[in-house]
Amino acid sequence: MNLRTIGCNFRTAPVEVREKLAFNPAKQQWAVSEVAARYGAEVVLISTCNRVELYVARASDARGFDLDLGAEFLAECHGLNPAIVGEHLCEHVDSAAVRHLFRVTASLDSLIVGEGQIAGQVKQAFEFSRKLGTTGPLLNAAFQHALAAAKRVRTETGIAHGHISVSSVAVDYVRQVFDHFADKTVLVIGAGKMGRLTLKHLEELHPGRILVTNRSPEKAVEVAAGCGGKPVPWDMLDDALAESDIVLSTTGAGEPIMPRARFEAKVLPRRSGTMVILDIAVPRDFDPMIHDGDRVCLFNIDDLTRIREQTIVKRQRHIISAEAIIDAEVRRFADDWNRRRSGPVIGQLNAEVDKLRGEVLGQLMPKLNGKLSDTERKAIEYHFRLFQSKLLHGPIAALQEASREGQSGTLLEALKKLFRLE
Amino acid sequence: MAEYLPQITQACFGLSYLIAFSLEVLRIRWPRSGLRYGGLLFGAAGLFTHTFYLLTRQPDLASPSGSLFAVSWVLAIFYLYGSWHHVRRAWAVFVLPVVLGLVWLGFMLSSQTVVGDTPSVPDWLIGNRFWGGVHGILLLLAAVGVSVGFLASIMYLFQAARLKKKANPRGRLNMLSLERLEAMNRRALNLAFPLLTLGLLLGAVLLKQYHGLAENWFSVKILGTVGLWLVFLVLLYARYAVNVPGRRLARLTLVAFGLLVVVLAAAHPFAGGMK
Repeated sequence: MNLRTIGCNFRTAPVEVREKLAFNPAKQQWAVSEVAARYGAEVVLISTCNRVELYVARASDARGFDLDLGAEFLAECHGLNPAIVGEHLCEHVDSAAVRHLFRVTASLDSLIVGEGQIAGQVKQAFEFSRKLGTTGPLLNAAFQHALAAAKRVRTETGIAHGHISVSSVAVDYVRQVFDHFADKTVLVIGAGKMGRLTLKHLEELHPGRILVTNRSPEKAVEVAAGCGGKPVPWDMLDDALAESDIVLSTTGAGEPIMPRARFEAKVLPRRSGTMVILDIAVPRDFDPMIHDGDRVCLFNIDDLTRIREQTIVKRQRHIISAEAIIDAEVRRFADDWNRRRSGPVIGQLNAEVDKLRGEVLGQLMPKLNGKLSDTERKAIEYHFRLFQSKLLHGPIAALQEASREGQSGTLLEALKKLFRLE
Repeated sequence: MAEYLPQITQACFGLSYLIAFSLEVLRIRWPRSGLRYGGLLFGAAGLFTHTFYLLTRQPDLASPSGSLFAVSWVLAIFYLYGSWHHVRRAWAVFVLPVVLGLVWLGFMLSSQTVVGDTPSVPDWLIGNRFWGGVHGILLLLAAVGVSVGFLASIMYLFQAARLKKKANPRGRLNMLSLERLEAMNRRALNLAFPLLTLGLLLGAVLLKQYHGLAENWFSVKILGTVGLWLVFLVLLYARYAVNVPGRRLARLTLVAFGLLVVVLAAAHPFAGGMK
């Protein structure tokens, strides 16, 4: 089917190389158009943080876009040495390329198996090229089928179940305790990067109030401004804790800021109901002994990471069934594609020979005019059709057989030339 | 069909609920929609036969089996409503065992109690038995409230235990949040307490007026109901006056339910039942 995938991913290239080979939209537009123009090919370019891959489909094998040309082109795009780029590239051809695309889209080839972003990124890359007009029958069919197969994998297996980001797991825990959030107060302690990410997830719950405290008042004001919260002085930490329902702690303190004795003496007696503490600081900010699963639910970074790892292990169990779906879909795609490709040629062939038969009969019948009965005339016509069927049976069967094996290209070309088909 | 209705027995709805429960347990392991709809179908069949059993047999609500079948019928409605609305939550696996337990207890006690006739107008509505009926209905509704509070408490304790162990929040059993379970428990008990108080007061007046024998005051049913009311008082005090953790309140609700079962299973001092 003349499809090639050339590129690098997290397995073949370290992040330093992937960074250099990454494409921004402007560069991607240029690259896709350039490959399409130079090689007369259909092109899609996928560029994410974990992979840079060119999908190139051509009508014929002449002047094929291969690994060396791919390395040269990528090096040219980024001003790098082609030999060095080539060391990190890998190539998939024809049905292997289709299989690779299907696996990538279904997130079976991802760093974290089952992650949900890649299908969207593949779709985005395909739409980008489609709008540029660099896709054609093969890539349109392959990418649409890949997206459908990915959806099947996600719905029919447990490969996408659970959350794999620490922030999402934290929010899952919060939802185990609270049902509605409009009357809840979130307290953010510290201003770590991880904390800000988790805070974004918490903000999606639309809590009634967000308080922010930090040893540095300026940082507290900055974080509060970013999330529509209210800065609280650091020395009022106990008061802020007493009136909060969800606490997100992410300081860079060298020792716990809230020992058990202080928490039980100054915070716990002043509040009712359950409190969730997400302590994602390292070292930990809260004494883990204050967790009781009732009044205080404390989850630290180890707890959240453990759940994340459990989810990953669970997803691994679904890989076999997901791969089986991909195999079946690749076969189905190959069958569909080959049928689509050889179908018109078989049709043309039949029409052409029909025409020839008609012409020969047209010459023969006037010569035998009056000498044949209707039955004899019908018998002659029938045997001409039988001869045509027997004559074409061999080539058509061979073409269908080659199509099933994905090797119909040469035969199709030969048939077109032999029978002078358009 | 009418000729089959009188043949409906406790076994019909008990087995239907049991099959529904089994399907729900299987659904935890294999979350298939077929199992869910199968469970709902058997649950609905159980409720249908349960309803017709109560309508055709009209068991005396003052009798242990009658009151147990009536409370379990309300809880079966609660189970079906919750199962329909909480598609992904583990609901039936908590509610159905309570329904089954009450049905089983009712079945065990039914052979020892007098099942009422089937008059066209229930006789407790006639004359001075009217207030007896009101007393019975108030206590029955209070019993439903206690049962709902008990279910919420069981689920609360289970969820709190999972949180204490820091179990995977996306585990097989998808539970309601602690906050929601606590609210369910609070509302059920807040509703049950005035009903229980009124029912108890009305019962005391009726007892004094019509059946004022000293031995009646010390029957298990009456002492148990008073005990239940006292547990309610402690519960309300713990909830509203003292800052008691949810887990302890849930345990106290379990005690209240235990007392309720004793009260329901005990013979009424003068309205029939197991003496």
